[in-house]
Amino acid sequence: MTSIHPDQVTAERLAGLSRGATPPPVLDPRTGDGTLIDTPGVRAPLVLNNRGFGEITDIVCGYVENKPPRWWLPAFLAAFGLAQLGGILILYLVITGIGTWGLTNQVDWAWDITNFVFWIGIGHAGTLISAILCLLKQKWRTAVNRAAEAMTIFAVICAATFPGIHIGRQWMAWFLPPIPNANAIWPNFKSPLLWDVFAVSTYGTVSALFWFMGMVPDFATLRDRADRRLRRSAEGPILLPFVPIRTDKIRAFVYGFLALGWRMSSRHWHRYEAAYLILAGISTPLVLSVHSIVSFDFATSILPGWHTTIFPPYFVAGAIFGGFAMVLLLLIPFRELYANMKDLITLRHIENMAKILLTTGMMVGFAYSMEFFIAWYGGNKFELYAFQNRAFGPYWWAYWTMISCNVISPQLFWSKKLRTNVVVVWIVALFVTIGMWFERFVIIVTSLHRAFLPGEYHMFHPTLVDIGIFAGSFGVFLTLYLLFMRFLPAFPIAEIKAVLPQASPHSHGDHGHDHSGHDHKH
Amino acid sequence: MSVLFPKWTNVLPTVFAVGALGGAVAAIGGFWYYATPKFWRVGYMPTQPGGGFNHQLHVGKLGMDCRYCHTKVEKSYEANIPNVSTCYGCHSDGKLSKLTEDPVHKEKTEFIRTAYAQDASIPWRRVHKVPDYVHNFPHHVHINAGISCYSCHGRIDTMPVVFHAESLSMSWCLDCHRAPEDKVIPKDKITNLAWVQNELKERKAGKAMSVEAQQVLDALQKAPPENCGACHY
Repeated sequence: MTSIHPDQVTAERLAGLSRGATPPPVLDPRTGDGTLIDTPGVRAPLVLNNRGFGEITDIVCGYVENKPPRWWLPAFLAAFGLAQLGGILILYLVITGIGTWGLTNQVDWAWDITNFVFWIGIGHAGTLISAILCLLKQKWRTAVNRAAEAMTIFAVICAATFPGIHIGRQWMAWFLPPIPNANAIWPNFKSPLLWDVFAVSTYGTVSALFWFMGMVPDFATLRDRADRRLRRSAEGPILLPFVPIRTDKIRAFVYGFLALGWRMSSRHWHRYEAAYLILAGISTPLVLSVHSIVSFDFATSILPGWHTTIFPPYFVAGAIFGGFAMVLLLLIPFRELYANMKDLITLRHIENMAKILLTTGMMVGFAYSMEFFIAWYGGNKFELYAFQNRAFGPYWWAYWTMISCNVISPQLFWSKKLRTNVVVVWIVALFVTIGMWFERFVIIVTSLHRAFLPGEYHMFHPTLVDIGIFAGSFGVFLTLYLLFMRFLPAFPIAEIKAVLPQASPHSHGDHGHDHSGHDHKH
Repeated sequence: MSVLFPKWTNVLPTVFAVGALGGAVAAIGGFWYYATPKFWRVGYMPTQPGGGFNHQLHVGKLGMDCRYCHTKVEKSYEANIPNVSTCYGCHSDGKLSKLTEDPVHKEKTEFIRTAYAQDASIPWRRVHKVPDYVHNFPHHVHINAGISCYSCHGRIDTMPVVFHAESLSMSWCLDCHRAPEDKVIPKDKITNLAWVQNELKERKAGKAMSVEAQQVLDALQKAPPENCGACHY
């Protein structure tokens, strides 16, 4: 079989052969789009179709500068409408009180905290990709880190809403942080609920800084491109009919403002790299600490079902699991719908993330079984009852939904064929997202709904307000995400260029084993 | 790029930074000063009905004791407002004839006699009021623990019209509950506001508690409570 490696195509092009001189590469069908190479000596390409530096800039800036795809506006309006619904229901909740939720004296945390933990967990994939994978020099992160970081910020925004509105007297939310006040009282520093305030706000701040700092060079590129178009021609698309302001004029100013005077000088890049590394270092412990502290909200209580020491690692693994599922859930459709995005997010990216889903899915599966084992082995009959009640009590359906989605469905990824099939991956990611929501629901509601006396046995029934506010949080998330895809650089341009073969001195044939580029010169 | 952003915009980051810092300081300082009870409660001085009640005259000049009118303050949660007959006891037509003949005074106190004749109450306006979530402020407990009227109400005996002298904020309550030795005085001096003011001032400057005051403090059955349920239940 004569298959040509994509690296060879690039090398030929670098050797001076014009485009089209080489016939389109015949790829080994087992390598999918060419990135699923398993040969140890060959690095899988991270960008497909032999893209050059200029083309990368054109592709990424094109998502912002060209007209959005036709589905964008309807999708945005639908998401925005859903967000408005959530906003109206929150207003109703504030005016009327949290009795509009299905909370009872027994189940006094339900969907509110479930949604909080669900959303805060989703953010973790972004931090893991941008910080830990950066420190581990995983080059494939460049294609997904910006989108995953954006997802982190938007998920934190959705998450932060829920503790803010579940406190009952929302106008007293300023009591959450320790602020000197005329009452001479402080939040309880021994309470994990206060640690949570610090953990989540630190997480939000660092993630936002990381995200913004990464975009500065790309803002400068967008600014310069708009400025160049303005200088080259006096004509161009205008903002709105009858408003004689050119869109590029606004772009130049807005992106110019956001670029903070970035001039692409090597001194700027030098400092950028240093700052990036520092922020990656700061963010790395956050990947582990934030969800550990969220788990303390439960683990430090003495409620059977919550009071377990496995919670911090179990929650962190679950957060990364749910986060990567959400990254896949978003990026697989965007990859199909946006032009050229498949060249940047390859099947190998999808496969790598599917492998992470498989690993973390088994970690949470281990945690689920270990909870049961300890409940039996610990000999505490109340704890054993709490877990038996979880799996076989009135909420058995929630428990087994969680197990099927989180433990069983990722097992499909043992098969390479299935984990490189985007439809299968997307469906599993959807299951995992559902399963991770149910995990938090199971932990919170099944532990609360039966206390020690039969008189304290109650069921939780969500109201329309519960459901509407949860749906609204998805509306907020998708609205922000669609705005991000439309107006902000969705990929780190310079970082992607750095992983192109052209950027690497290796492709110039410094090594004897490089079989293509060097040979062509002779 | 100089076309996009003229050179003077280079000062903008500095301006923004200084402005943000100044704005933050102004916002925090503004809140600190204007949004606490120290600002919006202290000095509250409502106009009282009729001729009002001149505490400076009755307490300061004539030497009436607080408890002559606020009779139940040692036994009750509330320091009661006297009923009309207490006022009428002195300001009846028959008594204090020399004063009632003074036309200015007669006119000023006429509302008492009118209310008395009509068997009506005088709608005095309340000056000191703790919020409704403070369920428990027992006057009698405080008085019997050696806390003077002065500590919460200030020099009432110098006020022609009573005003709010202290903030009554929660931190203000706790200041005393956490350090009662700053405020406890012998019980026979409770209503001697001028003496108490001087005593507490000297004590703040370093003077030791008198033996009598120490006895009152020692006799307290328990320390002033700091738990939430003591006041909010």
